[in-house]
Amino acid sequence: MEPLFLIFAALSLFGLFAYALQIWSVRSCRTISTPSCLGKPISAPPFFPPISILKPLKGLDDNLFDNLESFCHQDYPEYEVIFSLQNENDPACKVARMIKNKYRDRDITVHVERCSAGLNPKVNNLIPAYRIAKHPYILISDSNVMARKNYLADIISDMRDPGVGLVSNPIRGIGGESVGAVLENLHLNSFVMGSVSFLDRFLKMPCVVGKSMLMRKSDLEAIGGFAGVKDVLAEDYLIGKRMHESGKRVVLSSHMIDNINEYWGIRKFLNRHTRWGKLRWQIGGIKYISELISNPVFMSFLALAFLGPSLRTVALSAGVSFCKSAGDFFIGRKIGTNMAISSYVLGPLKDVLIGFIWFVPLLSNTVVWRGNRYIIGKDSMLSPCPETGLWSFRYKVVETIKARFA
Amino acid sequence: MLLCDFHIHTTYSDGSIELQKVVDIYGQAGFDVIAITDHVVNNDSSIGKLAHRFKYTVKEENFQEYMDAIEFESTRAWDKYGMLVISGIEISKNYINPDLSAHILLLDLKGFISASWDYERIFREAREQDALIVACHPQGLSDMSKDTYHLWNNREKYAKYIDAWEIANRDDVFNVVSLKKYPYIANSDFHKARHLYSWKTLLNCSKEVGAIKQCIRHNKGVAITLFRN
Repeated sequence: MEPLFLIFAALSLFGLFAYALQIWSVRSCRTISTPSCLGKPISAPPFFPPISILKPLKGLDDNLFDNLESFCHQDYPEYEVIFSLQNENDPACKVARMIKNKYRDRDITVHVERCSAGLNPKVNNLIPAYRIAKHPYILISDSNVMARKNYLADIISDMRDPGVGLVSNPIRGIGGESVGAVLENLHLNSFVMGSVSFLDRFLKMPCVVGKSMLMRKSDLEAIGGFAGVKDVLAEDYLIGKRMHESGKRVVLSSHMIDNINEYWGIRKFLNRHTRWGKLRWQIGGIKYISELISNPVFMSFLALAFLGPSLRTVALSAGVSFCKSAGDFFIGRKIGTNMAISSYVLGPLKDVLIGFIWFVPLLSNTVVWRGNRYIIGKDSMLSPCPETGLWSFRYKVVETIKARFA
Repeated sequence: MLLCDFHIHTTYSDGSIELQKVVDIYGQAGFDVIAITDHVVNNDSSIGKLAHRFKYTVKEENFQEYMDAIEFESTRAWDKYGMLVISGIEISKNYINPDLSAHILLLDLKGFISASWDYERIFREAREQDALIVACHPQGLSDMSKDTYHLWNNREKYAKYIDAWEIANRDDVFNVVSLKKYPYIANSDFHKARHLYSWKTLLNCSKEVGAIKQCIRHNKGVAITLFRN
């Protein structure tokens, strides 16, 4: 046997082994196995402190109306919802106002204020909302999150322990009417779900999913508040890290939240994971390599690409793809996604695309996020792209090519 | 101002998304008024016959089912989103020669109108039903396969029947409508989810079918906007 084939085969098997560990962690992790993660109440939490929900909005997400509405149905005694926007003309503003009009009995504020305190547009959106938040607990919840009725009651229960500083939630992808949306949901339900559960279960690493973060105001202010993360892309990671360093525990809740992705294009999928890849490369450094070697499908396809089609390379790719898809299917069923069985056929394609995307951060350190272009540095520190010189010329060329192909 | 789209297709003709999901896409995005306007295609040309063969048309046989489905969705959309859903069709007279082809939106229609009828009969019947008559994409489109020039080439003859002309359709703008000072609206010609982000109409009137029709016919308080995310 050729040594190259053996290397790729060994890496593929290693990747499958790593994925098996992730599946095990998903299966056995308390975040998945308790009834509450599927929206069924366990026991009533002993305390219900008032909570301010901060929802930074920009643009229309799939299912935005239902997502926002789900926060008006919380089975919780006292909470306020603050929809925060930078611009009155944002299409999400109209949806937020519709929700406010529909639920006049709820404590809902639509707050529009342009804030340019930092370079992170989400943090810029959160700063004004935080300023008007009334309650001692704040929940940062992304606009693409849909919650079940017992969401607040479930996550606050972890805060009974004063040693807990931040509660985050595992996330599952739901829906998928287009190929891009199916790829996104497959990735959320395999790589993201597996990695978060694995880090939480086996490595005891503080793992924060920025789509849902519950904190005390006092704890956030003790680590520098939003001002301390206004110029980083991964504000969730940094808040979690600082919370951990301050001696407070970062907890992954037992309540799973839904991210509805219905009509994504493939380009949107590629753009998001290129951005997330760059972020992890800047944060993780050399550890970022583990993502590549734990992608068994991509490794098996590399064998096919480098050694050409033969019985053993095709058998390796097909076998690894089958095992990986079976794993995806198992997790999908375990966490209760509604994905059709046929969707899992796209799993290997998704893994190959993710494999190629892995290399992009090594070649480029710029990101375009919410319409702004940044250079991303260590710990995801952002700096604006220069408007002049070589950078400017480079982007003009890229934009011209894009316009030609549009 | 009411955010409106009066030109939307579903799987009842050549749209790629089912009626219920289309209504949800617009409701979730905060629209005030939409009109479902699936194709009713002529059966007197080779292209028209193809549409019938592949069921890319509402036919007289399933017209009532189509209207009932819109009625059901209209109630649901009003209750859930406060969004008004108007029933309609797009009369599609398709020929190989674009000079002979024309597409006409008939909004708030009550009974079936065939696309194989002659223009005068279609307009008269639509008027009798008090439907709003809109001339679609009167000039060349970036998607040349659906160019329809007949109404514009014969505008002197037909303008008296037409309540409004599409001044913009999805990504295309027809400045000739402005030059002629014809009443106008702008629509997406929605077939796929990405078509949500396209030209739309803004109306300054109450959210009622009668008021909307009157606003468009009088063409006061009408504006167009390029709806983007």
